[in-house]
Amino acid sequence: MSLTSYIIKQNGARRSEQFSREKLHASIVAACLSVRTPIGQAEVIAQAVAESVIAWLENKPEVTSHDIRLTAAKHLQAHHPDAAYMYQQYRITI
Amino acid sequence: MDIVSSLSIIALSALIHASFQLSVSVLTLLSGHSIGAKRSQAKVLRMTTSFVIGAGVMTMLLLSFIAVVLLDTLGASVPPVVWAMACGLLFGVGVAVWLFYYRREKGTSLWIPRPMANYLTDRTKATTHSSEAFSLGMTSVIAELIFIIAPLTISALVLIQMSAGWQIVGIGLYTIISMLSLLVVWVLIGSGHKLSSIQKWRESNKYFMQFAAGSGLLVLGFYTYVAEVIGRTVGGL
Repeated sequence: MSLTSYIIKQNGARRSEQFSREKLHASIVAACLSVRTPIGQAEVIAQAVAESVIAWLENKPEVTSHDIRLTAAKHLQAHHPDAAYMYQQYRITI
Repeated sequence: MDIVSSLSIIALSALIHASFQLSVSVLTLLSGHSIGAKRSQAKVLRMTTSFVIGAGVMTMLLLSFIAVVLLDTLGASVPPVVWAMACGLLFGVGVAVWLFYYRREKGTSLWIPRPMANYLTDRTKATTHSSEAFSLGMTSVIAELIFIIAPLTISALVLIQMSAGWQIVGIGLYTIISMLSLLVVWVLIGSGHKLSSIQKWRESNKYFMQFAAGSGLLVLGFYTYVAEVIGRTVGGL
């Protein structure tokens, strides 16, 4: 499936960019690993979450990076609540 | 002031310093990024250790610097008016901590301006070497200077009245106690605890920590004012 959704970066500070499944996948894997999830399980969860986000993105030409994060966190919550918590904490730890 | 009282004031100041959370937040974030980037546990431990050492070194340098400046300007005897000014600083910072320290939103967002917080977050994410982690530890202490200046100043005023040997003990005591919260997090991360548990604890207790830090500053200010300003001017204590 090819998606052409554009992601508007936080605060509009940087230029918008095309949605990247790889970037989302990597961020979900990182969140899972940060709570000591085995790498194999982290990859499986990231794949499932990425697919859910892609399904949500269909017919949405533009979304904000914040929306992507919220949606990914919502789906991640179902698979791994601890990882979802850390994923949500990204910009609100400091 | 006798040695026990002096060391007690230094210990309380350092405890208040330990309750400030910017360095702990950065350490939590640094660990999360390092573990998430599939780095080995040994590498994560090296980076977090460097961070903690960096924060400790900067705390020691700041305390020594303030003590040297005060010693140079005031000499070994501190006039009551300077104590009164330092107490004013403690009261002011104490109230500011109560009012502003944590933002009223989810997570553990602190008072610092958002562009600065975003910069620290991005910088933490980009940290890959132990030397960078060391610098980040130093930076996290400087970034919180506006709040830690109060306990540092009181400790420095106490230190300059002590003999050289006790000054070194005082500086060491302050540095170790002020790093207690960092050391606890460092041990928890090193022993394989989940970051989510640490962060959840921090989030659910943030307003208590804020209240404790602000109250600690006010109590220290009140004690110092009574002992060093009223006590000396009235001549009773």
